[in-house]
Amino acid sequence: MQKRSSLSIQKDVIFAIFVREMTSRFSQYTFGNAWIILEPVLMITLFILLFGARGRGEFGYAEPAVFIFSAFLTFKLLWQQTMKKNMGALSGARSILGFRQVSLFDVFLARTVIEGGLCVVAGVVIALGLMWFGFSPAPTNPLPVFFYGLVLLIFASGFGILACIVASFAKEIEKLISLLTMPILFTSAVFFPMTVVPEPYRTWLAWNPLVHAMELIRENWLSSYTSPVSDVQYFLSWTIGVLALALMSYRLSWKRMVAS
Amino acid sequence: MIAFNNVTKYYPTRFGPRYVFKSLSFALPDDRDIAILGLNGAGKSTLLRLIGGIDFPSSGKVKANRFISWPLALSSGLQSTMTGRENVRFVCRIHGLSRSKSIEDYVQDFSELGQMFDLPLVNYSSGMRSKYSFAVSMAIDFDTYLIDEIMSVGDASFAKKCKEALQSKRETSNIVMVSHNVSTIRDHCNAVLVLSHGNAEFYESIERGIYRYENL
Repeated sequence: MQKRSSLSIQKDVIFAIFVREMTSRFSQYTFGNAWIILEPVLMITLFILLFGARGRGEFGYAEPAVFIFSAFLTFKLLWQQTMKKNMGALSGARSILGFRQVSLFDVFLARTVIEGGLCVVAGVVIALGLMWFGFSPAPTNPLPVFFYGLVLLIFASGFGILACIVASFAKEIEKLISLLTMPILFTSAVFFPMTVVPEPYRTWLAWNPLVHAMELIRENWLSSYTSPVSDVQYFLSWTIGVLALALMSYRLSWKRMVAS
Repeated sequence: MIAFNNVTKYYPTRFGPRYVFKSLSFALPDDRDIAILGLNGAGKSTLLRLIGGIDFPSSGKVKANRFISWPLALSSGLQSTMTGRENVRFVCRIHGLSRSKSIEDYVQDFSELGQMFDLPLVNYSSGMRSKYSFAVSMAIDFDTYLIDEIMSVGDASFAKKCKEALQSKRETSNIVMVSHNVSTIRDHCNAVLVLSHGNAEFYESIERGIYRYENL
């Protein structure tokens, strides 16, 4: 065998985990890997039908379907899935930690990359579908949307890593976070824009960093929407803070976590 | 050379740390095939995991300048929802071997799985599984093979095959093996490391090592 640099080992490992997650996630299903795309597409379509068809999300800024699409794609895939996948990384990848090349951090990285990629692919597929039906789902300012999406992905990943580490002390945190999923969905400006929230609740909700992520993306996605609360600096500070905390706690506790 | 330098390893439990090793220092020679013997709970598997780099000392250092296999136990590192072939590909990828076809063929042939090779691992019997995981590690050229109690499963003809494969590997590599089966050790090893009371004793003569182990 050849001697490889640490970087090339890590690259190989992340690619291997990527392929492994892709092939094993849905291997016992009848339609197999088609579910990789089908799952998010079905979910978003369902939300569009549930909310959009009833006229919810009609706030004068965009057609309901596009409004729901932009919000749920971001929230469900970039935030919720990424966070959950990172949180479950230790238990899900316990067996491959039996190879010395694989570190827990590679699993976090690979899962984050997968969720980010899935979001883009699912987004494109659904957007094409919406175009077919005569909507115009494309973001007005694609570059800022990608940028804030990336920051949200990093935020979610950092939060998930942190949750994974805390869960290795107290398993209860996983239950707590699952319980909080719904309240977070309702308070993160997902299916309503912040303009419909009156003061003082608007200021209260604006403490939630996810509100800023959603609003920043919405502002740049829908041409006529301007958010009353969005604050780039606030959201970036949260992301950097969470990521720093996650990396520091990882550095302190990874040895204890991988010891079985 | 695989060297332990002042290695202390403990596991935290409800009753405080449970020490497996306290300031253990030794070096394993590259040209010997070493059997690790000891009572249950003496730390044999932990030692193998430390050498294999998948567990880490609480303090001290484990140094090795060789390509060391993963500790080969019954269920190590294999995903049971993936097929035999997919698992081999995964192992090849993380070891940086981009051409995996020949390795796949070798594993399929050596493990005598035939078509089962393309079925998920959950469908394998325990004997098939041990054949399979043994074949996967034999397919990759390491300097040191770590073997944890895997030889005890499998039928007589496969045991013979394993023995031959290991014999040919021993020309270029060495093995470190955990087994309670004294005859397996006599077959494959020519040195013994006995773990007792948190210490490691190295015996160049396997008979003396086995005698020591039997009188622990």
